[in-house]
Parts: sequence; structure tokens; C-alpha cells
Amino acid sequence: MLSRRRFIQLTGIAGGGLTIGIGLMNSCEENVKLSRYNIPKTKNRFSGSYGHYFGEYIQIRKDGEIFINVIKHEMGQGIASGLVGIVADELDADWKKVHIVYSDPIPDMGNSTGGSVSTIKEWYSMRNVGAFARNLFIETAANIWSVSKDICYTKNHKVLRIGSDDEFEFGELVDQVQFPENTDLAPPLKKAKDFKYIGKSFSNKTTPDIIQGKHPYAIDVKLEGMKYASIERAPVFGGTLIDYDSTHVLEVPGVEKVVTIKGMVLDNNSHIRDGIAVIANSTWAAIEGRKLLKATWKDGEKSLIEHKTFLNDAYDIIEGDEKGYTVLAKGNLNALEKADQIITHTYEFPYQHHACMEPLNAIAKYSGTSCELWTGTQSADRIITNIEKKIGLKPKNIKLHCHPSGGGFGLRYFAEHSLEALLVSKACDGDLIKLMYTREDDIKFDYLNPLEINKHSVGIKDGKITSWHLRGVVDNWGGVLGWMIYDIPNRHAEHFGVKGFTQMSAWRSVMANAEGFSTESFIDEVAIALKKDPLEFRLSLLKKGEMVTLNHNYKCNINRIRNALITVARKAKWGKKMPDGWAQGIAVYPYMHGNGYAAAVAEVSTNNNSIKVEKIYIALECGLVINPDFVTKQMEGGVIWALSAFFYGGTEYKAGVVQRSNFHDNQVLRINEVPEIDVCICKSDETEPWGVGEIAGPVTYPAVSNAIFAATGKRIRKLPFTNTF
Amino acid sequence: MNSYNIKINGKEYTIDAVPNMPLLWVIRDIMDLTGTKYGCGSGFCGACTIHLDGKPTRSCITTISTVENKEILTIEGLTLNGFTALQQAWLEEEVPQCGYCQSGQIMSAQAFLNDNPSPSKEAIISHMAGNICRCGTYPRIVKAILKASKMNQSK
Repeated sequence: MLSRRRFIQLTGIAGGGLTIGIGLMNSCEENVKLSRYNIPKTKNRFSGSYGHYFGEYIQIRKDGEIFINVIKHEMGQGIASGLVGIVADELDADWKKVHIVYSDPIPDMGNSTGGSVSTIKEWYSMRNVGAFARNLFIETAANIWSVSKDICYTKNHKVLRIGSDDEFEFGELVDQVQFPENTDLAPPLKKAKDFKYIGKSFSNKTTPDIIQGKHPYAIDVKLEGMKYASIERAPVFGGTLIDYDSTHVLEVPGVEKVVTIKGMVLDNNSHIRDGIAVIANSTWAAIEGRKLLKATWKDGEKSLIEHKTFLNDAYDIIEGDEKGYTVLAKGNLNALEKADQIITHTYEFPYQHHACMEPLNAIAKYSGTSCELWTGTQSADRIITNIEKKIGLKPKNIKLHCHPSGGGFGLRYFAEHSLEALLVSKACDGDLIKLMYTREDDIKFDYLNPLEINKHSVGIKDGKITSWHLRGVVDNWGGVLGWMIYDIPNRHAEHFGVKGFTQMSAWRSVMANAEGFSTESFIDEVAIALKKDPLEFRLSLLKKGEMVTLNHNYKCNINRIRNALITVARKAKWGKKMPDGWAQGIAVYPYMHGNGYAAAVAEVSTNNNSIKVEKIYIALECGLVINPDFVTKQMEGGVIWALSAFFYGGTEYKAGVVQRSNFHDNQVLRINEVPEIDVCICKSDETEPWGVGEIAGPVTYPAVSNAIFAATGKRIRKLPFTNTF
Repeated sequence: MNSYNIKINGKEYTIDAVPNMPLLWVIRDIMDLTGTKYGCGSGFCGACTIHLDGKPTRSCITTISTVENKEILTIEGLTLNGFTALQQAWLEEEVPQCGYCQSGQIMSAQAFLNDNPSPSKEAIISHMAGNICRCGTYPRIVKAILKASKMNQSK
């Protein structure tokens, strides 16, 4: 994938200091003052489009303060501090003296955040940056002392040497770095036993700002001359504006003007709606003005589909005999037909809203041949590509300022809100526009988690399970995963795509939500039908030592799955005596995108016909752990995320319009509904980190559902689950 | 458009606004105090919580015309004399994830602790049920409030 040579650059910075940039030579050449070094391609766990480039740099000031550019989007997952921790460790930096810089996108550097791969992708590049800087300081100090660099070493922001009390603070060396031509381009990395921060729960750099209300979200940006916009959009996807009357809108104090934007298709499932934007001198005036807008829309064909009819059609596909797109094929695909006995069940995972706490927003200024934007995004690349493709500006003329976000969960992987803001600015002849989604906009025009329906069947012949078949219908985004982990000789997963009411998008854990729920509920049902213990049954089908290819670049490590399962069972004392009305449920599932494995045991109680989730145990295998506390938080958050969907998820369409609008009708879990959560990170001898952000949800749904079955005898095959019988 | 005298974080200001403008937008768009967050605009989520005469109040459904001569405290004002015990506990428990709801969570919890220096876990959970967090920081919010109450007692 590396089409151009890449170089390390070492440059002085204004006011004194050292910048170590590892980037594209031709994009930063004018900054190269002193020397250039070729850097070997990073070790890379992916191939093809996952090819990753160096793009980070660090800036070290004379006072020793170190600023580390983080190209991955911080949206609560702790990636910024995590990556800074990796550099700081390799550099032997003082934790108090390292700081996060939220990087603007760097061309061709992979400015996207998703799939739980940020730590995996940045692991070696961040370490190489730290090691390179550390080695430069050592070489510089050795040169000043006229000694061999072999007797010099770094410790806590200093270079020291054996047999002497001489030492230099890093800051003292900044102006003396000589950049020797023969410097080691890829100095050896630390051994794991020497890690100072990695593996320990170092603090999150964002916390002090957050607790003072100072964290720099895009929604808090205020610029000179900025105007506020609120958009009334076509209520139905694909609908068009016929006419509007803004007479009373313009009478609202603070409203300046009303403009329209024409909807456009960005790609197959990415779409801007026709809209009428109210421009005002405050957010409130824009929102108030918009309430007085009279608009007539042509709703289009999506308004003609009834939600129930659409669902029935999807079930018809699932239950029919039409062949789908084969996602996974192992052994004989017709084995099911030859079985003596077939067990089959169908599961439905509904649409889900993101409801990030920070509603979508973007600031944009269109200037004819260039533009400038401020937003929080999981994919700066996608924004830039779409502006180039749809608005016709050259990438080099697109200036994008990236801010951390108040939640992303996949929604901010999409570019629409930025494009909308830019289209409004263009319609306003280049005004600087801050586009604000109201909470109602954020819910109604959300790019939902796709509905997915899964039909699982196993065939039993001569007392053995010989085949496993999955048919899955997914609404127009992503596709059936087919992560069928159990050692059944004939396995087949088929995908059917359907087009629903609007565009879909990534939603934390993506299709693993639906398929974790369906697969692990189903295997529980099979165990019970065969009168087997659910834990023992799973272990009997998880073959020790196997590395299985399951529709993914990563091979699925069955030993790791077994270990997560055994660990969680031990922690939860699986099978222990429970109070009357209580029961346990168990589940295990991989998250192949992040190459991690989790298992969960849920404990539920029943009381007066209502269900309460009392406790969730999670065990996970996630490779080398950078920061156990950050991982634990991702597990806590993932469990709670999934419980919101379990009890309150879904959405309802009427004549093509989302009926939910705010937190009263799109409820999420509140503090009084949260179970105790016990997280166990399995000890690992892996030498590389895996992804953890999306690992907890997929096992939470089935663990809870299986526990509810154990407690009540009622099997949940459709979410959300209404918490009464 | 009317003129209003308001007192925010101990200082008095005169601002121009329409009478039905929610205090949230006065604080954010006019006063540029962006620590107070817009989450739902309807009082459902608590992200906009401030103190009005010491009481935790949803600024998104409190109009400017009702707050004259009242003491308004925002997250920025909470920190004027360094971190409170609650903020210190928040730091030690590493509560936040995305952080967006946390100003509101802290303001809700602080008002509660001011009136109830040693609350039970159940009372904490009951009081905090009005504040939504999407990242799932709830278990740590409970821990931090309990910790802060103990820090206050040991002073």
C-alpha cells in the first residue's frame, strides 16, 4: 500500500524545541531543515486496505514538556491517553510531562477510528516514535559527554550514564540534538519486563479537563462571526422539498435568514436529506425560528412501507429456501438435509439508536475554492473524500479541525453532518456556520444499527451434531459475520441484504450484537434440548488448540475462547446454588475485528413478574493490556450499552418516519438499573495488544437472555425485551 | 428582547435575551461558559444541570426570565477554589469516559452532597437517576460520590 517513500523528519520548531515527525516526505518537505531518515515499514498485522502508515509526531519543548499528536479519534474510549502512554513508556518520559494533541488529519495517514483497531494499528508506530526520540537523546548526550552511547541510558525524563552522576533532562538536550547521519533508524524497542506504564493503570489525561467542563468538544467551539443553523429535514428518507413559507420564522428575534439545501447521495448508503436551514445569532433563536417554518414535502416511496410488512417480508426471506450470499462455508453445505433431527430457531435484533450524549454538530466555512471545518469525527478521510467528490474542492484546500467527541459509537464514522454544515455555509454565500442537531434531530435522523434477523439450525445425525446453518437478513449496511466458532464439521452462513427505511451505519460492536445474541442464545437452546449443561456443552464443541478461519483476516483462537469461558465460569462459580427466583446464564463470543474474546455470566432475579439483572461477570482475552483500568471501563461501558439495547432498544417507523425523538421514548439505562459488573482480564503471554471497545456487548445480550430462561423458562428470541410477563 | 441582570459564579452581568430563552443557551452562547452541556433540551438527561440558589436545576428548561436575583453556579464556578472533594474523588475513581454528561453528573452530585454529607448508596442512586450517561460510567459515579462523602467526613 505504500506508494510513496516515507521519511522521518527532524525539525526545529519556532521558539525552540524539537519536532520528530514521521510522515510523508512530500507533504511536509518544507519543514525538513536538518536531516531525513528513511524508516522501515511498520510491522503490520493487516494486509490490503488495512495497510497503515506512520503519521504521528511528537514535539518536545526546551522545558521538557512533550506533546504527542494523536490521530485516532478520542470519543470516550481512552485512546488518546492510551497512545500517549505507549510513546511515554518507550521514551522513558515522565507521565506528568506528556500531553495529548488532537491531530488534524494528515493526508494518506489513515484518519479513521473504528473496528476496535486503533491500539492494534498504532502499537508499533507509537513505540517506534518513542524509541526513536529516546535513542536520539542518548546519542546526543553521549556525544556531549564524549562517551560511547552504550553506557548511556534513559530514566524518568533524563539521560544518565553508568559510572557517573552526570545527567541531562530531556529538555536540556532539545537544542543540542545533532541528528548524526548514522543514527539508528529503528532502535530496539523495550522488553516487556521494562515497561513502566504499559500494563499499569496510568491516569487518563482527559479526566482533569472533563471534571472542570474544559474538554474541547466541537460543540463548544465558538468563532468570531459564527452563525447558528438548525435544519428542518425531509421527514422521510428520499423525500423532497416541494415548498416552504418562512414568513413567521424571520419575525423571531435573532433569526437572520432561511436557506435550503438540496439532498444528495454520498454513496450507496450515505445520504443527505433535502433541508431548510434557519440561520440565527444563537442556537436558541435558530431552534425557535424553525418551529414556525411551514414546509411541504413529497415523502416518496419509503413512506408507503409499513414497518410490520417490512418485518414480515424479512421473515419470509429467512424462512424461505432462496439461496443467499455465502459468508462462511466449511464442509458439506447440504449436510443439514441429511440429519436425523434438526433444531432450529430464529432471533431478531432490532434497529438501534446511537443517542451519543453530544448531539451531532459541525462548523463550516465555504470559500469558493476552499473550506474549513471543525467537528468531531471518526473519519476525517470520509469527510474530505465526500467534500472532494460532491462539492468539488481539492483535498489540499480542505482544512479540517478534529475535536474529541461526546460519544461516537460508530455514528461519527459518517460524514453527513459535516457536509450539511458546508452546504449551508455555501447556501449562505460563505457565512461561518455552526450546525447544531437538536436531540430530536439526532434521534430521528440517526443512521441506525441495522435490523438483523438470524435463523440458526443444527442437524443431529447418529447422536452427533453434524451441521450448523445460519441464514441472516441484514438491513443495507455491513453483512452477516458468520463467526461460527463451534467445532461442527459442516458450517454454512448465508447473508441476505434488504433495504429498509433509511440508511444504516456502524453501531458499537456492529453485527456482532445481533449474531452474539442469536448464536449464543441458540447454542444454549440446543444444550438444553440435548439435556446438557450449557458450559460443558460449549466446551465440548470448542476444540483445544484450534485456530479457525471465520470470515476474517484474523484466525479465531479457540484456546483463548475456552480460557475466557472457563475463567468467567470460575469467577461466577457457575452452577452455584442461587436464591429462589434467581438464575445464571452464560455466553462466549469473539470480536474478530479487534481480535478479542469475551465470555459473560449474568445473574438475574425475578420478583413479582419482573426481571432484574443483578450481576454481570465478564472475562476477556485481549492480548497484551496497555491499561487495565481503561479496559475495565470499556467492559463496564459495553455491558451497560448492551443492557440499554436489551431493555429499551429498537425503533418504530410510521409512514417512513422514526417515531422516537428524545430520551423519554428512546430510553437508555439509568444509574438505578445498573447491575454489579465484575471484570476479569485474563493474564496473557501475548506480545501485542488487541481491541477491546466492542467486545462486551455481544456476550451480554445472550448471557442475560439465557439467565432469564433459566429463571423463568421463557426464551427471548426478539429484542428489546419488555421487562414484565 | 429584554435586559436581565443575572449572577453567575459570583459575578453579576447584564445580558439581552428573549424572555423564553433557556438559561442553558444564555450560559453557552452568550456567556461562553461551555462546560454546561446541551443533551436533550427537555429535562430528560441532566447534562445541563447547574445550581440555582444551591438547588440542582436543569438549565435547558429554565427560562432566563425566572432566574434574576438568583445565584447561578456552573461547573466553571465549582472549580474557582480548586477541586472540590467530589471532583477529587471523580479524578481518583477515573469516572469519565467521553465526559460529555459529566459536568451535569458532578453538579447534580455536588448539590446532593452539600445537603446530604453522608448519604447511603441507595440515596445516591435515587438522586442520580435523573442524569443519563451513554458510556456507562454509572458504577464509578456511585463509587466517587461515596468516596467524596467519606473524604468530607474525615476532614
